[in-house]
Amino acid sequence: MPYYDEIELGDEIGPIEKVATDDEVSNFCHVWGAPTPNRFTNADVAAKSGMKETIVPGIMTMAMMAQLLTDWGGPGSIKDLDLVFRQPVPHNRALTMAATITDLREEDGENLVECDILMTGTEGERYVGGKAIVTLPSR
Amino acid sequence: MHSHSVASDDSRATVEQYVKWIQVLRKRGHTVDGIVLTEHRQFDSQKDYSSLASQFDVLILKGSELDTRYGHFLVYGVTEALTKAIDFSDVRMDSRELMKAARQHDAIALPAHPGRFGIGLTDYIAQGETFEDVSIVERFNGGSRPGENERADELCISHGLLGIGGSDAHLTSHIATCMTDFNAVIKKESDLVDALLSNEFQPVWLADTLNGSSA
Amino acid sequence: MAMELEYDRSLYGVEHKAGPFEITDEIIDRANSSTGESGLAFTSDGGAQELGYKGRIAPPTLPCILVRQVSLPDVKVKFGKTQMHAGQRVEPKAPVYSGDQLTASSHLKDVYAKTGRSGTMVFVVWETTFTNQDGTVVAEVQESFAKRE
Repeated sequence: MPYYDEIELGDEIGPIEKVATDDEVSNFCHVWGAPTPNRFTNADVAAKSGMKETIVPGIMTMAMMAQLLTDWGGPGSIKDLDLVFRQPVPHNRALTMAATITDLREEDGENLVECDILMTGTEGERYVGGKAIVTLPSR
Repeated sequence: MHSHSVASDDSRATVEQYVKWIQVLRKRGHTVDGIVLTEHRQFDSQKDYSSLASQFDVLILKGSELDTRYGHFLVYGVTEALTKAIDFSDVRMDSRELMKAARQHDAIALPAHPGRFGIGLTDYIAQGETFEDVSIVERFNGGSRPGENERADELCISHGLLGIGGSDAHLTSHIATCMTDFNAVIKKESDLVDALLSNEFQPVWLADTLNGSSA
Repeated sequence: MAMELEYDRSLYGVEHKAGPFEITDEIIDRANSSTGESGLAFTSDGGAQELGYKGRIAPPTLPCILVRQVSLPDVKVKFGKTQMHAGQRVEPKAPVYSGDQLTASSHLKDVYAKTGRSGTMVFVVWETTFTNQDGTVVAEVQESFAKRE
C-alpha cells in the first residue's frame, strides 16, 4: 500500500487486465438476482436489445474496477467510485483497467487521492470511465 | 474549446482540477493557455472563475454545448439575451435557428464532433440536409471513437470548412487532448468570437505543443 | 418545439424502503468468484482481522449488487422502448460485514433528456441509502438508467 506523501499528480495506478468469462457473468447475474433470460447471458435477448452479443453488467465492471483500487490502496480505501457506462462490454475479451491521479487533498483529517479511472478494450475502446476517491495513510 | 465540468451531468471533473492538471501538462513541456467550459444544455452567467484563472495563469472562458435536431453545437460568446432567445434545454431545437440567433446576439454556434456516428453533422448531410451557415466545425475532438475524427476531416476537405480542436473532456486528465491554436490574443469571450470570425486558427493535438513546437 | 418529458412526477420526495438483506458468506463468495476478487479482507475472517476488521467484509461494491433487489416503482416515462444502465456511483461509508442485515431507502433524484450516439435518450436517476442493523449508514448508491427509442 502506498503512502499519501509519496504520491504525485499524474501518477498511474495499474494497469491490470481481466477477462469476464461467460461463466463469471452468469455467476454474477445469479448473485445480483437478474431475471433470466437476460441480455447478459442470452444471445437472443441481447440481440433483441440491439446488442451484437451478450454483454457484461455495468455493476460487474464496477466491481472489477474497484479491485484495481482496493488492491492498491487497501480493502477499505475507496471513498467514492462514480462511473459512466459508455459502451457495451463484451465477454471473453481482455479488459484493461487503469487510473491516473488527478488531485490530492486533505479533508476532515483524511488524505484523499482522486483519480480518473478507465476500463478500455483491446482496440482502445473506452468502455467505462469515471472518477474515484481513495483514502491513504501518511507515512 | 470544448470541455465539461461537474455542472454537466456526465462529467466528473471540477474546473479547479482541470487547471491543476494543466500545470502537470505544462511541467511535461506542453503549451496550454486556456480552456472553454461548454456545459451541456446550459449556461451559468453567474459563475466567476477569474480568481482561479489568475491563481493558475489559465484563461477560463465559458460557452455551451447544446443538443439540437442535427447534432450538438458549441456556442461561444453566450449572453443573457441569447439564453432568453433560445431554450438551452431543448434537445430538439433547430440548429439553423440556433446559428442565426447566435449571430444576432454577437455569439457563434458551430457543429461539435461532426463525424460522430449517429449524431454528427456528416450523417445529416448524407441524409440530404444542408447547412449554409456552417463555415467552421470541430475537426479534432478528444472524445471521438476510431473513424470519427477522420469523417470530420473529410467533411472539412470536401466542403471547404475550417476546423477547431476541442478535448470534449469529461475527466480531469482528458483536458487539452486537442486544442485550437489562434493567431489572435484572447482575453474574453468576445475576443474568442472575433478570433473565430477572423478565420485565423487551426486545430492541434496536445502532442503538437510539446516544448513550444506549436502555439 | 421543446421536448416535454412525461413521467410520474409524484414520485419525487417519496422514500421507498426495502430489506432487510442478509449479507452471507455465500453471497460474498459468489460475488468474489465472479470477479476474481481475492483480497484477504474479503475472503476470510482471519485475513480481515489481520487488517484491523472485526471479521470478513464485503467488497465495497456489494451494495450496488443489492440495490437491484430493491423494487422501485415504474417512473412511467413516456419515451423509449429499451433501457440501459447508464451509470453507477457508490460511496462506501462503513464496512459491511458477513452477517450484517442491511435495509435500503430509495428516492427518485432526477429525470432529464439528452442526445448522443444512440439518439435521444431520457435518463432516470435513483439514490439509495443502505443502513445496517445498528442504524449505521454503510453506503450511498446512485444509479442512472437511459431509456432510448
